[in-house]
Amino acid sequence: MVYRIKRDELNIFLEGFARKNQLVAPLKGKLAKFELVKEEQVKDIYLEKNTYFPAKEFFFKKNETVFTFKDNKIQEPKLETPKRIFFGLRRCDLNAVKHQDKVFMEQIKDPYYMAARENSYLLGFHCWEAPSKYCFCGTLNLADYYDLMFYDKKDYFLVEVGSDKGKELIKEFKTLFEDIDITITKEEKKIKGADRLLKDDIKGLYDHPDWQKGVNQCLSCAACTNLCPTCYCFELHDETKTSNIQEGKRVRNWSSCQVLDFSRVAGEHVFRQKREERFKHRIYHQLEYFKERYGVNMCVGCGRCIQGCPTRIDFVQIINEMK
Amino acid sequence: MKEKETTEKTSKKSSVKKNLAKKENPYIPKPYKVLEYFRETPDTFTITLDMQIEHDPGQFVQVTLPGIGESPISICSYSNKYVRLNIREVGNVTKALANIKKGDTLLVRGPYGHGYPMKLLKGNNLIIIGGGCGVAPLRGIIDYVEKNREDYKDVHLFLGYRSPKDILFSREIEEWRKQYNLSVTVDQNEKHDFCYDAKTGFVTEALKASNMNNENKVVFICGPPVMMKFVIEILKQKGFNDDQIFISAERLMYCALGVCCHCMIRGKFTCIDGPVFRYDEIKDLKND
Amino acid sequence: MVKAKTIIKNAPKIKPKVAFYGITGCAGCLLSVLFNEDEILDLIELIDLKAFPFIKEVNVEEKYDYVFIEGLVASKEDLEEVKRLRENATFVVSLGACACTGCIPAYRNFTLKENYEHLLYKKVEDLEDVQPTPVDMHIKVDHYIPGCPPNKKEILTFIRSVLRGKIPIPYSSPVCVECRQNGNECLLDVGKPCLGPITAGGCNSVCINGGLECWGCRGPSKDMNLELMIKILREKGFDDKFIQDRMRTFAGLKLPMLDEVIKHTKEKVGAKNE
Repeated sequence: MVYRIKRDELNIFLEGFARKNQLVAPLKGKLAKFELVKEEQVKDIYLEKNTYFPAKEFFFKKNETVFTFKDNKIQEPKLETPKRIFFGLRRCDLNAVKHQDKVFMEQIKDPYYMAARENSYLLGFHCWEAPSKYCFCGTLNLADYYDLMFYDKKDYFLVEVGSDKGKELIKEFKTLFEDIDITITKEEKKIKGADRLLKDDIKGLYDHPDWQKGVNQCLSCAACTNLCPTCYCFELHDETKTSNIQEGKRVRNWSSCQVLDFSRVAGEHVFRQKREERFKHRIYHQLEYFKERYGVNMCVGCGRCIQGCPTRIDFVQIINEMK
Repeated sequence: MKEKETTEKTSKKSSVKKNLAKKENPYIPKPYKVLEYFRETPDTFTITLDMQIEHDPGQFVQVTLPGIGESPISICSYSNKYVRLNIREVGNVTKALANIKKGDTLLVRGPYGHGYPMKLLKGNNLIIIGGGCGVAPLRGIIDYVEKNREDYKDVHLFLGYRSPKDILFSREIEEWRKQYNLSVTVDQNEKHDFCYDAKTGFVTEALKASNMNNENKVVFICGPPVMMKFVIEILKQKGFNDDQIFISAERLMYCALGVCCHCMIRGKFTCIDGPVFRYDEIKDLKND
Repeated sequence: MVKAKTIIKNAPKIKPKVAFYGITGCAGCLLSVLFNEDEILDLIELIDLKAFPFIKEVNVEEKYDYVFIEGLVASKEDLEEVKRLRENATFVVSLGACACTGCIPAYRNFTLKENYEHLLYKKVEDLEDVQPTPVDMHIKVDHYIPGCPPNKKEILTFIRSVLRGKIPIPYSSPVCVECRQNGNECLLDVGKPCLGPITAGGCNSVCINGGLECWGCRGPSKDMNLELMIKILREKGFDDKFIQDRMRTFAGLKLPMLDEVIKHTKEKVGAKNE
């Protein structure tokens, strides 16, 4: 089902949300990121390029209380999320949500992720062409995974419905949307200039000497994993209160496979001691290990790990140049 | 062996489904009473928990000490009445666990992981090779065999420890000697303290000296990585195939649910695909 | 002497005897302890505060369980003091950059004597000069809480942890890890000489949150790529003298290889920057 909404009416639609519920959309700032948008900020929503930071932290929080405890008694936190509308997620970010859904909603039923995800509506924004030179989503077979998808047609937006939740939204605001009888073809959905990654199987390349090119430029600073919309590694820590050290909470934090502590066990042994092993681990998890388990590449080709890298290690180019 | 693999895979899938059916929070541990505390060696102890769960030998549980953290501990028993954990004091959690007393409650979640596929190995001769605290998960097999003695043929135990005072399960070892082929070795024995009739030398030497072939045999190994490496080398020399060998892996772990990724070894999760692996599954995986 | 392990084992039962001492330094790290205003009364309840000369009149000299030392060894008196504290303590914690890395006062190690000789206190005979060095060059240190100043919460976390029976693992990953999670712009990208990638974090990237580049006050991270860091800074237009000075400001003595690495790092980074 495809609808049409006039350009100036889109803001009315979004302001309506911001007033009643929560609207999360990209704002420019120093670096574009997804933020809670107030009604009067709707006009500032930034759609020119993709955001520097992904929307990951709204679902998979970087600091989540798993439970609180007092002595040996454990108390689960109350989990409630208001109705949230995410607007401006690109195709890569939508697929990133899909991949994290696989981990936190299929592999396990993660109550924290599910609570954050449950009341959320995903409104996509289509890229006609790659918004950044680092993009490489084209060859990664991204799926249609959204409630509504917006296609910018200058004077108006085409709106494609992707789910029942999306249908509901349209119904709620039916005066703004005009039902039109067209379909958007696969060919039209193709993002131009994003076919950078030329190899789809890197299984046999693990011992290739060219990885060293990337490793030499790597600071192991974990910018790549923290900016990645799909990376989902975490660690659990206990925190206590000074007023009563028998009382406290267990928290879940983001974790990065690029640092030494990631694989350290008691007795001070680190399994992935070499920078090279850690560097390859991330890329193989993205393009190989995840696929073995879930059938799709974890990587969605947004290019943030390259854009955010202090030395711009372009692993796509490294892979492409491997013989 | 192919047939076994498929059954194994389906069983893996069904266990995933079982997890899905549960609606409870997978991160929350439950309290269990400590029935017994026994100091095995200067740095290890065994606790018995009032925990009735269905599990395989070789699986593990996550033990929580609120305020300190969580630690994966392998189950070293096989019973539907209790769960026994043998713990070595190495990290923060295990050191603090040493303070626990009989009658305390302990917060535990699990069991997790893929244990030893004992049912698939019926009719085989079993060779069990353990080093140091690596003997703990292997003890689950011994308990299992005791309950299902008719399903297995000869059982040969090779247990290696650093010194006589490090020998684990001293209460049970004499019983094992009566029932199975038992060989205990200690790396050092300065005081010539020959309790339990242990020979001085590495477990690998005892293994080398033994007369065996690979016929109808499966081997279970658990111990320090270096020991496992040399043991596997000897077994290969003696003609064993990779799919006759089961080894255990150890990694840093937080969730034990196949999510946090800390225990990943080249795409395989130690917590849900392991900790017990058939050697041919992970022999090419090295450290990463 | 009671073994550290025994103390930890008995931790919940006895209040540990704690002392905070300062040797040559600005006392800022001791202030960091006090800056925990909202929790300081709770803290006093948790421990048996035997000595804190900075704020206390009566300071009992006896055996302590935990001694926090602020400052670096710069005089003979300091040296005697740290040795005495080590003898009296089960567990010694270096508090702050001076005690951990030598910090700015240790920069003297990298200048010629004629540059500072005239500044030494010659008239005060008691002050016998010692080459300024961090505490761990003289005594065994069991734990480090680095930073200039140290993170006040980290001090509390340490005390709470040992009381619960665990010694916290020092944060050894680079500052960048927290910095990126805090949603900051990379200061290297805007041309500032940020040392975050080679500096141990745990500070919640407080400087970068405020727009100032990292100067490396928490000391080198465990697995820094120093060579690459030098190349990046050269690429940004900083000369070797500047790079050397900047890196030595806070952690000079912990980077003894710096000269050598700068010398053999020939080229700039080959990155394709925007």
